[in-house]
Amino acid sequence: MSNMNLPETMIEVVDLHKRFKDLHVLKGISTVVKHSEVVAVMGPSGSGKSTFLRCLNRLEEPTSGRIYIEGVDIMAPYIDINRVRTEIGMVFQSFNLFPHLTAIENIKLAPMNVRKISNKEATERGMALLEKVGLAEKATAYPEQLSGGQQQRVAIARALAMQPQIMFFDEPTSALDPEMIGEVLDVMRNMAKEGMTMMVVSHEMGFIREAADRILFLADGLIVEDGTPDQIFNHSKHKRTIEFLGKIL
Amino acid sequence: MAMSLALLIAYALFLLPDKESAIPVWFYSSISFFIVLILAYSGSILADREKPEALKMGVAFMLIAVLGWLFHRYSGAQWHRLADFFFNWEKLEGNWWILWEGLGVTLFLAFISGIGSVVVGLLIAVLRTLNSPTMNFFLKVYVDVFRSIPMIVVMVIFFFAMPFMGISLGSIVSTVLALSLGYGAYASECFRAGIESVHSGQLEAARSLGLSRWKTIYKIILPQAIPVVIPPLTGTLVAMLKDTAVASVVAAPELLKRARELYTSETNPTPLVAAALIYLAVLIPLVRAVNMLENRMQKKRNE
Repeated sequence: MSNMNLPETMIEVVDLHKRFKDLHVLKGISTVVKHSEVVAVMGPSGSGKSTFLRCLNRLEEPTSGRIYIEGVDIMAPYIDINRVRTEIGMVFQSFNLFPHLTAIENIKLAPMNVRKISNKEATERGMALLEKVGLAEKATAYPEQLSGGQQQRVAIARALAMQPQIMFFDEPTSALDPEMIGEVLDVMRNMAKEGMTMMVVSHEMGFIREAADRILFLADGLIVEDGTPDQIFNHSKHKRTIEFLGKIL
Repeated sequence: MAMSLALLIAYALFLLPDKESAIPVWFYSSISFFIVLILAYSGSILADREKPEALKMGVAFMLIAVLGWLFHRYSGAQWHRLADFFFNWEKLEGNWWILWEGLGVTLFLAFISGIGSVVVGLLIAVLRTLNSPTMNFFLKVYVDVFRSIPMIVVMVIFFFAMPFMGISLGSIVSTVLALSLGYGAYASECFRAGIESVHSGQLEAARSLGLSRWKTIYKIILPQAIPVVIPPLTGTLVAMLKDTAVASVVAAPELLKRARELYTSETNPTPLVAAALIYLAVLIPLVRAVNMLENRMQKKRNE
């Protein structure tokens, strides 16, 4: 929250639409995310939160609209989307670690193959990141040997290894047993403190209240409400928001 | 139980007609009735969960013995000629090298065609991951066509028909080409199943890290797909090894072709029997190996 008055625009979304055949999932979303801002995306299931996030690095192809990442129009036809994606780390609900690689290999893969840095440098960077997420001793473990919380922390380290400008979290704690949620949120909280620009699809109220600068409340493919956690949680005037918060609190 | 067994034996001993004295209708109905009785009786024992396995094994061998006896008694086969014509190893003396040479050619054909079909199959499967509707249409047509045409027809067309267009491929090239293209179609289905078994989240994770399409396939998808692909692919390649025998039709000097040459020159079918035994000796271990691979895969999946 300390960084709220940084002026630099990191992500700008203009009238984003997404249709799956005859299903209109996103119906014109526009917003701006500033440098170092932590934005939580909330909303009932089917409101399009995940699709919204996945459109921003074009894991889903938007149907129409403009997306600017650090001022670059990533919908432009000449854009190298792989370059754009190296600037956006993504963490998934189901971790999606590569099961045939160890934790450290998972982390090294993209830096070595995309950034073309040396094995030695990648290993050093990877170990430092594992240290940071508290898993240095698990470097040579395969994903199946790790708990859900540990896997998710490795997945975060993997995304950070590309030294991205932005981090996306798509329900990072939804697939975790309750006792493992804390360890993942701690890592995310530290990242927020360090000034990472983050967009988080999550319903972890405690984390959002504490770490998020803003909440985007989505319903039926539209932003219903956009405000600070205090505004949304305590002073919301929208029926949809109040109804939803009443259900999850 | 003893009663019904005694009845069966009595029926066999006294009521089954001689071949020579048989009136067709009485002959056939009587034998059919006997076979049905035997099958029903052994079936009732084999299907009984309570009965011990040793007894079932005994019954199974007895069933084989009875059916063998029936065949012996009524088929009119001249058994004394078996040793002269089926297992007359003297005829093969000094000729074994021809069969070994044939086996060499068979294994060579299988090896080259094996590499060919893996390359073709992998290429098709990888191209299909690009999800281009136009390309998929042509790839599907290719796979369907080659899975529908009998391999022998493809070989015969390459070897006998193409020369009329001025393209003479020779028997070895025709065989390798036909087997590679044909079994490539089967192999592509194995690879496709393997690639589809990799969770879509893997692809998303790789792409979100900025990995290119080819790097994703090469570093993420294939390493996970290959272990899944190995058992069915090995099965396909074993089937291909068997199908090299078809090349004898286009005069490729492989095992069956050489055995048939010997059969003609010696006017004795022993070389054919020898060829059959050589095929068995080579293929049974391979078939067992495929089975083991499949079981191991199944176990891994259940873990």
